[in-house]
Amino acid sequence: MRLAGLVENETLKILRRKRFRVVLLVLAVLLSVVVFGQARHRRSHEGEQGAGSWRTRVEGRVAQMERRLSQTRNMPETWARWSRFEVGRLKYHLEKGIDPESVTGPLFARGFAGLGSVLLLPLLVAVLGADLVSSEFSEGTMTLLLTRPVARWKVLLSKYVAMVLFTTLTLLLAALLSWAIAGIAFGWKGWDAPVVTGFRLSEAGFDVSGVRVLSLWQDAFAAWGLAWYSALAVGAVTMLLSVVFRSTAAAMGTMMATLIGGTILSRVASEWEGAKWFFVSCLPLPEYYSGLPTPYPGMTLAFCAWVLLAWALAATVLAFVLFGRRDVTG
Amino acid sequence: MVLSAEGLAKRYGDREVVTDATFALHRGEVFGFLGPNGAGKTTTIRMLVGLVKPTRGRVVIDGHDVQREFEAAMRRVGCIVETPDLYRFLTGRENLEHFARMLGDGARERIPELSDLVKMAGRLDDPVRTYSLGMRQRIGIAQALLGDPSVLILDEPTNGLDPAGIREMRELIRHLADDRGLAVFVSSHILSEVERTADRVAIVHRGRTLAQGTLSELTGGGARSLEDLFLERTAGETV
Repeated sequence: MRLAGLVENETLKILRRKRFRVVLLVLAVLLSVVVFGQARHRRSHEGEQGAGSWRTRVEGRVAQMERRLSQTRNMPETWARWSRFEVGRLKYHLEKGIDPESVTGPLFARGFAGLGSVLLLPLLVAVLGADLVSSEFSEGTMTLLLTRPVARWKVLLSKYVAMVLFTTLTLLLAALLSWAIAGIAFGWKGWDAPVVTGFRLSEAGFDVSGVRVLSLWQDAFAAWGLAWYSALAVGAVTMLLSVVFRSTAAAMGTMMATLIGGTILSRVASEWEGAKWFFVSCLPLPEYYSGLPTPYPGMTLAFCAWVLLAWALAATVLAFVLFGRRDVTG
Repeated sequence: MVLSAEGLAKRYGDREVVTDATFALHRGEVFGFLGPNGAGKTTTIRMLVGLVKPTRGRVVIDGHDVQREFEAAMRRVGCIVETPDLYRFLTGRENLEHFARMLGDGARERIPELSDLVKMAGRLDDPVRTYSLGMRQRIGIAQALLGDPSVLILDEPTNGLDPAGIREMRELIRHLADDRGLAVFVSSHILSEVERTADRVAIVHRGRTLAQGTLSELTGGGARSLEDLFLERTAGETV
């Protein structure tokens, strides 16, 4: 089988098109802006409150949140839930003597796995993947590709392998870039800082029974691994759209609308539990891993991982069936 | 016989765009597939190379059914369907290398010889987006020949070429059939073009084959032109 040669072809085409470089450029620019913003924010904060007083600051915040929780009527349930969670987290930090707000390059890189996996990383993967099949249709090269003595499923398989390779590369570079750029402002050291993780909110209240202390690099590795997993699911769904629409604009437009719509959905329609089966609701795996409350009850990290796997497999099977059977006309 | 189409038909909804196309190609001959635009020529070609699945009938290339043994059948075929679309952001050489990798065994080594044959050796390292249509057509033919095929299928190969380009293309097609023994399938809507290059001709109109045979059979040894024959057979029908 000449799969290696086919994958080499796909890699060559991705590298020679502008798309991949644009994705990396967008990533670098956005990261620079976020880091700059955060650096400015922190400096103005330090000016206000003075360095070293983090304990008083955190204690103040805990007191304020507890007051608000007990006094505000009709507080939305999700907000109350989050507040209780945050109070618990801060108290634990106070107990352990770890400043919850100290930012370092490694900490920023860890945080970006979570924030990025909500929308930015899926969007970038969608931009990258929407093009892989459809561009061959719009440029007219699909007829050539499919009249060579290589079965259609092998052609599509080589494109899937290329998608997985470049999604992986994009995530790796995103992790590296976020650390490198944030390092300029906050310093590159601190990978072995302790991280408190495993908070859970149960019926009984704030549950610290599963809390563990990890090294930051272990925590970041897990978070980026999860971000990579959900990025692959996005890649698989995008490939299906690329096969179905045969047009990059249509595939990318639909995927972006789905991602943005899904993100809004989980914030707005918190009553409708069915939304938990939607793959977009499940994308922020690193956030759920960090202990961020999931938008719907019954959504656990494992549940989300299974939902994403099911969507990715279904999309992949459908893409192969369609691609193998459909007539290729002008 | 290197390629045979047996009762090929394609239906889209209620409309049958190709009805019972039956023909055979032999080594060393140029087969002209003649018909006006919209006669079903391109759909027939797409069925020959497995891009479109026939509603009825089958295509056999060197003993391999295109639908059932796609890879074995396509190993013997080179083709250009409609326009010679290549990767415009790659050079001519990179395009040829791309398709050589899909073929394996020795295809890459044929690139220098083939680019000489189509007179593109001097421009091989320029990006395809800088090529004229004629140049893309020639790289397309070099690409089609990479796998050392026994059948070459060309869809309107002289479309959009200038008179010098048309003559060169005609000479190249004759050279491939006469000196290399390829069976060449050429579709065209230009009667005079087919008259000049083809050994045997099929005339198609509205998806049906109206006449088929050697040039001298069809023209009665030159007593009438293909144009006369075409108009006679389609008499009374509006296009």
